[in-house]
Amino acid sequence: MSPSFKRKIGFFAKSTKDVFSFFFSLAKKSRRTKIFFILSFLPVFMAFVVKFSQIFQLSRDIEGIYIFNNMIIAFYLQFLILILALFYGSSVTSEELEGKTLTYLTTRPVSKSAIIVGKYLAYTALIIFMVTLGVVFSFLVLNLSELRSVSLYKILFRDVAVLALGLMCYTAFFTFVGTILKKSIMFGLIFSFGWENVIQYFPGSTQKFTIVHYLKSLLPSVSRGRFSFLLFRLEPSSTGTSIFMLFLIAAVFIVLACVLFTYKEYILKD
Amino acid sequence: MTAIIQTQNLSKWYGNVLGLSDVTLEIEQGITGILGPNGAGKSTFLKLITGQIKSNIGSVTIMGQPVWNNYPQFSEIGFCPEQDSFYGEMTGWQFLTSLLRLYHLSSTEIEKKADKALEIVELSEDKNRAVRSYSRGMRQRLKVAQSIAHDPKIIILDEPLNGLDPLGRRKIIRLIKEYKGEGRTIVVSSHVLPEIEAMTNQIILIHQGKIFAQGDIHYIRDLIETHPHIISIRCSDPRQLAQKFIHHDFVLKVNFGLKKGVLLVETNSRDKFFGLLPSLFVENQIEVEEITSPDDNLQAVFDYLIGK
Repeated sequence: MSPSFKRKIGFFAKSTKDVFSFFFSLAKKSRRTKIFFILSFLPVFMAFVVKFSQIFQLSRDIEGIYIFNNMIIAFYLQFLILILALFYGSSVTSEELEGKTLTYLTTRPVSKSAIIVGKYLAYTALIIFMVTLGVVFSFLVLNLSELRSVSLYKILFRDVAVLALGLMCYTAFFTFVGTILKKSIMFGLIFSFGWENVIQYFPGSTQKFTIVHYLKSLLPSVSRGRFSFLLFRLEPSSTGTSIFMLFLIAAVFIVLACVLFTYKEYILKD
Repeated sequence: MTAIIQTQNLSKWYGNVLGLSDVTLEIEQGITGILGPNGAGKSTFLKLITGQIKSNIGSVTIMGQPVWNNYPQFSEIGFCPEQDSFYGEMTGWQFLTSLLRLYHLSSTEIEKKADKALEIVELSEDKNRAVRSYSRGMRQRLKVAQSIAHDPKIIILDEPLNGLDPLGRRKIIRLIKEYKGEGRTIVVSSHVLPEIEAMTNQIILIHQGKIFAQGDIHYIRDLIETHPHIISIRCSDPRQLAQKFIHHDFVLKVNFGLKKGVLLVETNSRDKFFGLLPSLFVENQIEVEEITSPDDNLQAVFDYLIGK
């Protein structure tokens, strides 16, 4: 590696870190984060309701891990991570254009790629933290009586990891969409609740054109409960392939977003 | 003096709308005023020279380097945009320190520079208030602060006096003049002529995306040969002086001013007129109190050039 290349990499890393800390501290105080934080804590509230009804014998005793599994699939995997990734990912570029603040960033000695990567990492870290907190609290509340069981923590760790990978991948995709399209939210909703929900059930290799295919491949094939049909998989990919593909998809879309953001001209309306 | 900013055949259009057409110019150290009515192309020009937008034709260089996607250059450039936009959830202090962080400075340096910039624009007392609670004038001063905080050599200000009260305007004008004294290059745009006039004589007139004129105000004034110059003379005997002027072919019109003892002379040759003037005073023993050129200001130049 030549010294000039090393210097460039070092400068890019420093710029990315500076952009990251700028937007992480800005995003954590934003109104949008407060709203999504409440949304991501809905399962915790639900968990409390379930637990209280069980304690006071208002409902039949259902295993905590069973409710937790359904919650992960129905609420987090199929809904929350898509919504969070869509709103945070697409806003990496669009909020700068709509708020007309892009000029403040592009007249600083940081590359446009560092702006995209730094903001993407800041938003991804924030939403992963948000989701992890909700998942961990839900888990603790629902499994209050079995907290000594180590095998349960393995399930928690696996689920958090799958959701984090999902957030990483979807946010990268929506970051790219936000740099290319003006109306990225509409496209994102169609993609999230149309394409992802339908194509994953197509036979053959077509299902592999969805992100959710790789996420579901990381979860167990058999699941009990009312929402187990949502976990239905035709031909799951191997764990290794799935993890590789998720990282590859995230990397490809972030690189594309960087290239596009660097060379595309954004005109702020007066 | 070498040019700091150079443009060559710079043209920009938005779809079918012409933003800027074939602009070739050089901007040197000191203050340069970009003047033109709203929609003339001033902001397009400033966005092009700060690499915000790409030219369709032509090139821009700053200190010999192309500006588009040349981000290391921005260590030396400060830009105050026209838009009244901020990250509203931040305080003035957070806004400045966050932007300064992008210059890869240490925390101590960031705080020192932010403090200094806030002090210059007199926002130190309000630094911990949310930007969205600031008045228009305060937001304008904050925008100026973010453009000067990192101590740049080149400062580009798009309508910096918008929304400021007269006192605020005077302070920013004084600041810009101070920066000129420090050997910096300052490009400032405005559609308000007296604002530019208060800052500099070096102007670029833009209208309908084209450069109408560039240079010293007097040089520009001399370019307009077809338009008469008006010279006002306050003296002891304006009637006698008028009689002497009327015989010369370069004197087009003579009027008596509203004030007592004032004569207004229209001439199409300022050189000949001023060449004649001393001898007329001496020969006719006329005492002169004041000689001014009332139309020798930016408003007059601008009106003549756009054909008003």
